[in-house]
Parts: sequence; C-alpha cells; structure tokens
Amino acid sequence: MPPRLRQPRLQSPSRSIIRSPPCQCLCEKRSRQFSSTPCNATRQRAEMFRWLNGPGNVFRQPLPGSTNYLNAYDRSGNLLRVDNSNAAQGRKSGDGEKKKDEGGDAEVDLETSSIKKKSAQRPSPEARMKGAPLPKETREDLMPFPMNREFRSQSVLSEQLKDAIYRKVIEQGKSVRDVSATLGVEMRRVAAVVRLKAVEKQWEEQGKRLATPYSKAVLSMLPQTPYIENDPMPHESINDLPVHRATLNQIFHPVSESRHFTRSDAAKVFQPDLLPADDRVPHTELVQLEKWRFEGIQQDQRIAMMREKNEKEAQAKRDREARRREREARETTKVDNGRSIFKFQEVKVDERVGEKGRGREGVGARYGVPHEDRKKGQIKIPTRVE
Amino acid sequence: MRKRFHGLKRPRLRQSWNKYNLYNLSRAEDPIRRERTFFQQKWTAKSMTRAYHGETVREQKWTRMFRRTIKAVVPMDHRYLAEKDGSELAEGRGSGLDLAPDQKPRIIPKTPYMNMTYAPTERRLDTAIFRALFASSTRQARQFVVHGYVRVNGQKMIYPGYQLNPGDMFQVDPERVLYATGAPKDRQERRAGRKIRALRASQKEAATEETSSEPEPAAEPQTPSSPPPPESTAPAKSTKQTLQSLLAQAKLILTTPSQTLTARRKQDLRAFQRTVKRTLSRPDTFSTATSLDAQLSEITTKMAPEKPTPTPSSTTPEEDIPKLSTPELQAQAESLTPQQLDTLRLALQEARDNPIDASKPYATPWRPREWMSAFAFIPRYLEVHHKICSAVYVRHPVARPGLAEVPTPYGLHVNGLAHNWYLRRR
Repeated sequence: MPPRLRQPRLQSPSRSIIRSPPCQCLCEKRSRQFSSTPCNATRQRAEMFRWLNGPGNVFRQPLPGSTNYLNAYDRSGNLLRVDNSNAAQGRKSGDGEKKKDEGGDAEVDLETSSIKKKSAQRPSPEARMKGAPLPKETREDLMPFPMNREFRSQSVLSEQLKDAIYRKVIEQGKSVRDVSATLGVEMRRVAAVVRLKAVEKQWEEQGKRLATPYSKAVLSMLPQTPYIENDPMPHESINDLPVHRATLNQIFHPVSESRHFTRSDAAKVFQPDLLPADDRVPHTELVQLEKWRFEGIQQDQRIAMMREKNEKEAQAKRDREARRREREARETTKVDNGRSIFKFQEVKVDERVGEKGRGREGVGARYGVPHEDRKKGQIKIPTRVE
Repeated sequence: MRKRFHGLKRPRLRQSWNKYNLYNLSRAEDPIRRERTFFQQKWTAKSMTRAYHGETVREQKWTRMFRRTIKAVVPMDHRYLAEKDGSELAEGRGSGLDLAPDQKPRIIPKTPYMNMTYAPTERRLDTAIFRALFASSTRQARQFVVHGYVRVNGQKMIYPGYQLNPGDMFQVDPERVLYATGAPKDRQERRAGRKIRALRASQKEAATEETSSEPEPAAEPQTPSSPPPPESTAPAKSTKQTLQSLLAQAKLILTTPSQTLTARRKQDLRAFQRTVKRTLSRPDTFSTATSLDAQLSEITTKMAPEKPTPTPSSTTPEEDIPKLSTPELQAQAESLTPQQLDTLRLALQEARDNPIDASKPYATPWRPREWMSAFAFIPRYLEVHHKICSAVYVRHPVARPGLAEVPTPYGLHVNGLAHNWYLRRR
C-alpha cells in the first residue's frame, strides 16, 4: 500500500477550485463555511430536516391553549381550522369560497428559503394567542394519526372536575353511582379518580413533591372536559351496553304478526338466560326512574321509591353476605398453633374432579402434566397483584 | 444486527415521540397495494402493524395473546330504553314504521372492529405506561419497569409483560417521568450537573473517612431512650443515630428465638427495618432557597412590562408580602404595588414547584420535550393523574360506533388484513 501523504495545510489554488458538493443538510448558519469535507447527510435526512424546520416546525412546541395533532394542519403547516374560519368569514362578506388546500405537495418540495418566508408571514402562536383566540377543534383536528379516521384524542377530566368528584364522594358522602349519573362520568372512572386523588392527598401530607409542572404542561396539550358548577357537561356515555357474544349472530326467528315482540323476547331468542338491554346497562336505576316518570308518578315519590328499592337491594346483599360467611364458618375448621392458622374444609372429591377425574377444581387436574416453571429461562409473570 | 429503529429508507411507525417517527408519520401512506396477492397484502399489513404494536413481543407470544373476539359497546340512552320496549322496531311491515325524512334518526356509524386487532397489547404494563404519557417510548417504559421504577397496586413490578387487570393502579417514579418527558440538558447544564456530582462524591468520601477513623463513638449510643443532644448544629446526625439504634433493636428481636414472635409480627418487623433503611439511605432534601434567589432576576423581568395601576389600598400590605431570603430583596418587594405582588407570589410559587436544580438529569426548570404535543393523547381506558405520575387501568379498550379505542396509526383496511393474518389456522 502506498504511504499516505499528508494533505498540505494551505490549500493550493487548484484545489480550491474543486468545490465540494452542495450541503444537503440545512446548514443555514453556515457554520462549516470553510470546510471542504462533503456533508454526509443523505438526501432523505436532508428532506426530513427540511420538513422539521419548515412545515413540521409547528409540532416542535405545544400550541398554547390547544391540542397540536398532525391532522389539524395541511401539508404546508397551516392550521386548517384557522384557514377554514377565515374562509367562512370571507364567504360571509361575499367573497368567493376558498377550498381546503389539498395540493400542498409542491409546497413541501419548495426551497427552504420560501418555506422560511412563509413561516415568517404566519403569525407565531404567541401572537395568535394575544389576538383572536383559536377556534375550537373539530373532530378532524383531534386525530393524531392521519391514516386512522376511527381514532381520535378524547377529552380527559380537568383538575376541577376531578376535585368535584372527590369532594362529592368523600366529603359529601354521595354514592359512586349518583356522582357518575350527575357528572356524566363512568362509575369505574369515578372510583379511579377517588383513589388517585386520595393518593395525591397522602403525598401532600407526607410532603412528597408532586409533578405539578409536568401535569400542567401535559393537560394543556390535551382536550379537557371542564367542570361547570350547576350545569355539568357529560364527560362520556355512562350507559354503555357491552356487546354480548351471543348477539353477534344474525338469527332468523319467525313470530306471528300479532305478537308484541319486545327486547326481552329478543334476548331470550339469542340465549335463553340473556337479560334484556334494560338490565344489562350499568345505570339501570336511571331507566327505572324514567319508566316511573312515563307512568306519571311525581318526582318526590319517584325518588322515595328509588330510595326504598336501593335500601331493599342493599339489605338483600348484606343478608347474602352474612349467609355466605355463616356457611363458611360452619364448613371450615380452624386450627391455630400460635404461629399460623390452618383451615380445613370438607371436600367432596367426586363432585369436583368430574367424570374423567381431571376437573379443574379437583386434585388430579394436571396429573401427569409437568410444570415447566423450574426450567432454565422460564419466568413466571404474576397474573394479578393485590 | 437489528435494522434501524427509526429508519427513513424503509420507514416503520413506532410507539415513540421521536422526531424521525413524527416525520415518518406525517408522510406515511396506506402501504397496501391492491394489485398484489391477498397473501402479500396480509403479510405487509402484519409486518407494518407489528412494527408499531408490541415490537418487543416475540411473534409466538403475540400469536398466543391474539384473540379473535373483540370487545365492543353500544351507548344506550336511558330515556329511549324507558320509553320504548323494542317492539316499535317490528312495526309496519316488520322493520319499523317509515318516518318522514326530517324525522329519521341519525345514521349510527359502523363500529370499527378491525382496529381493535391489537387490543391485547394495550394490556401490557409497558404499553400502558407509554399511553399514560409517562415515558417517551414503549422501550423507555419497558426500561423503567425492568429497572424497578414502576409499582402496580403499591408493589414493585419488574415484568414489562405484566397484563394489567381492570382496576390496577400503576405508578412510575416522578423523577423518571420528568426525565423521560422533559427537555434534555444543554451543555452548560450538563457541566453544572457534573460539578455537583463531583462535589457530592467528595463530601461522601470525607464522611466515610470520618466514620472509619473513629469507630468507638459511633458504636457507643446503644441506649435508645436517651434524649437526643440539644445542639441545633447536628440535628440530622442525632435523628440518624436514633434510627440506627431502632434498626439494631429490631434486628435483636428478630434474631433471638422466641415462641411469641408470630410470622405476621416478623413480617411487620422486617417491613419496619426496610422503611428505616430506606429513610437512612435517602440523602438530605435539596434546599430550594438558593435556587429561589437565582430565579429572582427572571421574576423581576416578568414584572417589568406591567404598568403600575392605582388600586384601592384596602388590604394590609405587611401580611401579603412574601418572605424573601435577603433584606435588600425584602425591601424591594415591599415597594411593589399589589398587582406586582400577586405576580411575584405566583412566580415564587412557580419557582418553588419547578426549581432550577442542576443535579437533575433533565433541563431545569422543567419543560416538556420537543415534538411531544403531536403525540399527546390519553385513551379512555386509562385514567391518569399526572401530578402523582399514577394511572388506573379502568377497563379493557373497547370499540364503539365510529371509534376504536386502540391507538393505531393504520386504518381499517390494514388492520383488517393483519387481523386476517392472525386468524389463520396453523
């Protein structure tokens, strides 16, 4: 191999004539003005940076007071709803209508300088905030994935709404069901909010630092459901009927023309023990109240009846629980040896093991089937954490 | 060697907030070309969607996770349920009465079942952490889990593949979340952080030398009932000593064999030992007083553009003035108008919540990282409380008319093809 000769420090005039290929990446600052090394960035990388510094620059920082998703902008990085509202105003004043800009492809491929000019013309988010407030997001603006029209960013509970839920459940002692119905928040979510709020209070008592700046920043990027004291806005649909597997099949079920065929009849056709939708929704009490209203019962009477019904149900539940506990106490023998308590229970093997002797409840369920959990490399992930 | 995670040549969409990913997402198109064979279409659809959903999960494991049954709900109106019993749907010629065109009910959009193909992956702990916006990618979330920063229902969970059950609460260490979602440090901040670390290391070294040179006085305080020394110069040391003596006592009880010590009691004692050890190992809390002073210049700049407006001085100003660390600053603060004082109070509160601290691994005061807002959404099956970096997995994701809750970048067609691929009997 020939010895490598060092490059002369001073460039000869002939060498300086050979110009390095134009830099593909965005060296706007011309930081490597005197470098003769060719820029290594590939064409695609250069294109990416052109997009990130051009139309994509709107995603670099959150849009103050609004969400900032891909679908809210056109190809050249203009907020569509601002353009649309401007167009609507123009139409009102008698101007020709302006169609939504779809052919933005060419604009992306334009020179960087022109894009820069465009972005300079566009008012900055701060300036826009100081001027007119942004119009509210439409359904389209809340789609983070432009290809997926069936997914959109749904609103989250605002801090005030969470506070209100916690106040109502813990301080005013209302039931989760009531709070869910009045605020339009799913019951499981109400329970979750109360639990999380309780943890927050505990942290405050312990003097742990909360991630307040993070919380503020994230909530400002998300659509939120506000809390209005006397006229609460529903957050989500609270009466979601889960689609039962038995109802997925189409059934041709001939009935006589004169028959009054109701929902509960239909449920029985799908599966003999399937309950009708009225009893399968989470808030059955709302349906019942409404039924009484159609029967013409006065409001205070309706409320009294509902209270009575709830009381009866609660009593039945308590009775059931007491009976269960009693039966358990009768059937189990406890032996306390000071260190631990052994519980013995009578078991009828014949019933549990089933016909083949390998029923899941019985003792021989896995007879002859090895457990692999002692093998090398086998991990046992817990299925439940209490 | 593995392929590029965020490639530009063969772009794959990923569960990440990376700018490469954003760019790929912005130019992505439906990858399926109809002229290819059905098998080819399914293959492409499967490979594209799998690159996004659970790419750390092996294919064999995923095929076992896959379920052809899809959870869906239909929102019901309680008024309708009360008013009608369902028989009106069979009125007329058997399919309901013909209504006037203006009375016709709105057409209910179709339920996008196919977009729920990857619903089982959303149950995974690492994916849920990413969806709750506690990590900037699923891989980072996975790392947090493996490194032991995540608790499920108060217990440490080190398996990223843990399948969350409805009602499970998961918590991530807030410091990790701030690191994951915060802007990175710049050069000067990194340098300042290094300096602080070096200083702390040297202090620690000096402390260990001290204790090793005089072991007798450290071993001496055996009586836990003796009152702590009244000198205010070393309150931290005295509390440390009492804690250590408590720890020694607990150890003594545990080691001596006895009949009365039940297993439950032993467990309690061990838990107590753990908490004491944790308290002892925790360094002293960083005082925010110095950083507050450092931020005063910022506060004054905030107040500068406000013009002092004449206000009725009904409130007593002496009580409202916040306490500052030096008398000069206090004097300056006393000369402010009530409005400026409000601004000062707000700014001080902000500074207290979000202090400048070079020892943190993220840029301080904390601010969200770039490109985050385009990816910021929280699906409804999670209930997230960002202040404590905790969330509850409320229920499994469901499909409803016009909406599938599984966040997937691909549309119905691609997801349907992928679903079809996994329906294959093998």
